[in-house]
Amino acid sequence: MTKTFTQDDVVRYVYEETSPEENLLIEDAMMSEPELMTFFLEALELRALMNKIERQPRISTVQTILNYSKHHPANPPARLRQS
Amino acid sequence: MEKAQVNDSELISLYIRGNEKAFAKLVQRHKSKLYTTIYLIVKDQYVAEDLMQDTFIKAVDTIKSGKYNEEGKFLPWIIRIAHNLAIDYFRKDKRYPSVVFEDGSSVFNTLEFAEDSVESLQIRQETHEHLRELIQRLPEQQRQVLIMRHYEEMSFQEIADATGVSINTALGRMRYALINLRKQLSKRAPSYDKNIYPR
Repeated sequence: MTKTFTQDDVVRYVYEETSPEENLLIEDAMMSEPELMTFFLEALELRALMNKIERQPRISTVQTILNYSKHHPANPPARLRQS
Repeated sequence: MEKAQVNDSELISLYIRGNEKAFAKLVQRHKSKLYTTIYLIVKDQYVAEDLMQDTFIKAVDTIKSGKYNEEGKFLPWIIRIAHNLAIDYFRKDKRYPSVVFEDGSSVFNTLEFAEDSVESLQIRQETHEHLRELIQRLPEQQRQVLIMRHYEEMSFQEIADATGVSINTALGRMRYALINLRKQLSKRAPSYDKNIYPR
């Protein structure tokens, strides 16, 4: 029996949660079903776009974190510390 | 591009032995992903900054006290800490801030866009800003799955287990989230960033 692939399968495919065997079948399904292919392309584009909206914290926030670690009470005495 | 970089496990081992530069490298490597994840949950840049500090402080305390399990991966572990802190924040305060407006000028990696014209850079910034707002406006269940899968890199099965639903429900919520984002983005012209793929 031939398995029918859905948009949920395409979501798993876009997020690389499908097996190599499933990949071939899903790719075949997308080639023969334009709506599935359209959904795939849109999901792929959104995934790429979402990767682009990463934000950066302020430098001072990062520095506070590094200082906390540097002056942590559990640190060994400076002379024993590896650099 | 950085080649043959030291992996997270090696950096953690160095850090456990007292190498603060290894920790600085870990922070630099993951700060953006972590901060973005927190920001998309709490929707407030100042709260996100505080929670990011708290996240790393918890991580430092755990590692320095010898309680870090070196068998796990660092990024999923620390993202889980951040996620829990963000959820605690909502539980404590029982509030849900509205969309935060910002100038956006320091948000993007300017080196990456250095060759773009001012106009195309502005369009791209607006598109990215718009997408952030759209993610924040998604129905809660859809937003949760999208953040967990895309930014926290949890599998759909892990999301299903964490949220107490079936994997099909988790997949369905993700599908609706993507469809909603696509619909909302297409209402705006130019709807898409035409240059998101490598040339």
